[in-house]
Amino acid sequence: MVSEIDELVKEAVKDVFSTMLGMNAEVDPKADQKQSDEELISGAVGFTGKITGVVFINTVSRFAKQITSSMLGLSPDEIDGDEMVNDTMGELANMIVGQVKSRLCDRGYECVLTVPSVVRGQNFSIESTTGTERRVIGFNCGAEKLKVEVLIKHENNQ
Amino acid sequence: MAVKILTVDDSKTIRMIVAKAFRPYECEVLEASNGVEGLAVASKEKPNVIILDVTMPVMDGPEMLAKLKSNPDLRSIPVVMLTAEAGKENVLRIAKMGVRDYLVKPFKEELIVERVGRIVELKPRGDSAQKHRRIDEEIKVLVVDDKPAIIDHIKKGLSDLPWHIEGVGQINQAFDYAQQNVVDVILISLSLPSDAGFVLYQKFKGTVKTRNTPILGMCVKIANEEQTRAQQLGFTGIVTKPIDIVDLRSKIVRALNLDTSFLYFEHRDTSLVVKIPVEMSQAVIREIESCLQQETTKAVDAGLDKVILDLTKVAIVDISLVELGLAIRQVSQDLSLKFAVLGSAEIQTQCRNFQETKDWKLAESFEKAMEILK
Repeated sequence: MVSEIDELVKEAVKDVFSTMLGMNAEVDPKADQKQSDEELISGAVGFTGKITGVVFINTVSRFAKQITSSMLGLSPDEIDGDEMVNDTMGELANMIVGQVKSRLCDRGYECVLTVPSVVRGQNFSIESTTGTERRVIGFNCGAEKLKVEVLIKHENNQ
Repeated sequence: MAVKILTVDDSKTIRMIVAKAFRPYECEVLEASNGVEGLAVASKEKPNVIILDVTMPVMDGPEMLAKLKSNPDLRSIPVVMLTAEAGKENVLRIAKMGVRDYLVKPFKEELIVERVGRIVELKPRGDSAQKHRRIDEEIKVLVVDDKPAIIDHIKKGLSDLPWHIEGVGQINQAFDYAQQNVVDVILISLSLPSDAGFVLYQKFKGTVKTRNTPILGMCVKIANEEQTRAQQLGFTGIVTKPIDIVDLRSKIVRALNLDTSFLYFEHRDTSLVVKIPVEMSQAVIREIESCLQQETTKAVDAGLDKVILDLTKVAIVDISLVELGLAIRQVSQDLSLKFAVLGSAEIQTQCRNFQETKDWKLAESFEKAMEILK
């Protein structure tokens, strides 16, 4: 199931980036696991029900601002403060995980979405707890990178 | 009255995307961040359509929809649901709620405009402002013809204007181009194989973005059947092949209601001068006549008291030019403006050959015209 979710996430990220941003998100098999020194921003949405997990969409805040600018049709100068970027990253995560959730429901894994949340900071990492599997999928979006982390609670723990 | 669209979504990002999508259209986009706010705005503003998110705090989309449907004042407002969850069961559940349509996130802006455009008439912003666009401003013309020579002829013929002429041979290319760009006027060959020109016309008219774009058909003069069919379908006009560039330009000017008055009318001293260009044609006469009343009224408002018809660039005075002169003289008389005609001795002689000009005051120079009108 976990590998199926990987594929659903890859499909959803590509779809959302192409539709909302006109941008190709290509899977990067050599995703860099190292932390960036730049400020990071992470949009997260979870799903809970017959299958439970959470998906984090991580990138540096510079790229998050670029995403916001493109999505809202504003110049980077018009993006005032962090709120707009946070909201956009939350919505981006919501669209990606919403698509994954719909596919899961179609396959019989009924679940509901949690509200989006956003984390900002430097040198933070997302770690799994016992009974949870963590997967990392890297994407190249032009010259920028996106890291998607998926935490899935093992079925026997549900 | 402008169309009102209410977007109810807890995500400011989505509300901003919706507002951006409808910015090119004459409409007002109202915003609410949950069902409670949405109901309040709907009661106060009576929007023409509501774009409603499903999952929201305070009051979600389904609850707001139920309340709308139970309110006699609001129940007829069409609702388009917007959801991030496209699962089959979710879609079926939404369909049963009595919504007009639904959209799944992620969505392209064109799609939301298209769906809302099926419910309310969306007019491109600037339709009313087009009256003030001048012929020397950038106009985007899309030419659809499978004969490259026709496209080249139009491009060369209109090259003295800062217009962008985009030529395509295939109807699919044409449709995609018009969806991705703002096109001011479209020319379609009516002789494309398999009636493709007519098919394309209907496709354009069925799409919000090009629904109000003027479309001219192009065909040979003797293709009566095609011309009749185009007129019945509602083409803005017909341009016959071989294409007369002056006629084409004039038809585009009329279709877009472009301002050409500055080419023909000028305030000089205490006079309004009507300048007749070297290349005189019926199209030019129509353009002058179309703004004659407005320009003479403006002249009176500006304190001018004379109208001078300037024929110094004209080689031949024919009956159509005389008729234009008579029309200008009549308007001048109606507004108590003095009238004179400016032209060489040869032009004056040609004028005199027409009985109708017997009481025209003729002069060889502007100064002399001013003098005889004192």
